[in-house]
Amino acid sequence: MKVLSVDDSSIMRKIIQSTIDRLGFEFLEAENGQHALDVLKEHYQDVGLILLDWNMPVKDGYQTLLEVKQDEHLQNIPIMMVTTESERSSIIKAIQAGAINYVIKPFSQEDLIMKIMAVPGMELAV
Amino acid sequence: MSQTNVKSDLDASLVNPLIKATMTVMEKMTNTQVQMKQIFAQEEYLPSGDLSGVIGILGEQGEGTVALSFPLPLANIVVARFLGTKPEHLSSEDRCDGIGELVNMVSGQAKAALSNESGCLYKLTLPTVIQGAGHQVTSQAKGAPFLVLEFESEGHIFHLQLSFKRY
Repeated sequence: MKVLSVDDSSIMRKIIQSTIDRLGFEFLEAENGQHALDVLKEHYQDVGLILLDWNMPVKDGYQTLLEVKQDEHLQNIPIMMVTTESERSSIIKAIQAGAINYVIKPFSQEDLIMKIMAVPGMELAV
Repeated sequence: MSQTNVKSDLDASLVNPLIKATMTVMEKMTNTQVQMKQIFAQEEYLPSGDLSGVIGILGEQGEGTVALSFPLPLANIVVARFLGTKPEHLSSEDRCDGIGELVNMVSGQAKAALSNESGCLYKLTLPTVIQGAGHQVTSQAKGAPFLVLEFESEGHIFHLQLSFKRY
């Protein structure tokens, strides 16, 4: 099972990778939404979760969420937003677009682990 | 530059969330204890530290700039802890990326406070990082004063500066 982290901050991807490694999943990364869609073309059958930042250059997380949910090959992959966007309206917008959960930065590693483990299918790999 | 009689468009409804956000982000992501030292307003940006993470806040009812500035030794400490490594193992890219992400997190809280207060949505620009002693930051809110929040951590002073103009 692979987890794809999409964040324009390399340091955030490294922090998330340490959590994914700890959980025993394989780690994939992308630095923006367009890069994520490119990675998914090759790996979508093995990806069990996408961790998606919101504010990114090239293609932002919300647009990426919409495009993933409109793609018949990708739409069943769970997406969790991991973002500084903390307004209630943003959370509702993402959930209505199909995000399965929402992590607001700053977060602790324990916060992230608990939310990843709550995603259907992700508890089995540990 | 004057610190007296400088009137800012910022009030406690925004300042308190900024203080809380700075302390929460630093403590939660970098495991550093932070003390609030003082708050003052200046007509211009206060040159501070060796590098600053800078981000713009844009909305229908106002715009502004947030700058989070650190001296190099403290930047190395907080980014190393952020990443779970030692300061000597940090690259320049790590340091800039880490400071950019910290200002992004703090500004996200400020943006939420502004949105909650006004009922109007605000957006953040992508963070940039400016390096060099004595570097300057120009506010997107031309002519608006800077509110300077001074903190201390690990024996070093660092500043969060916010300039904001309501339309």
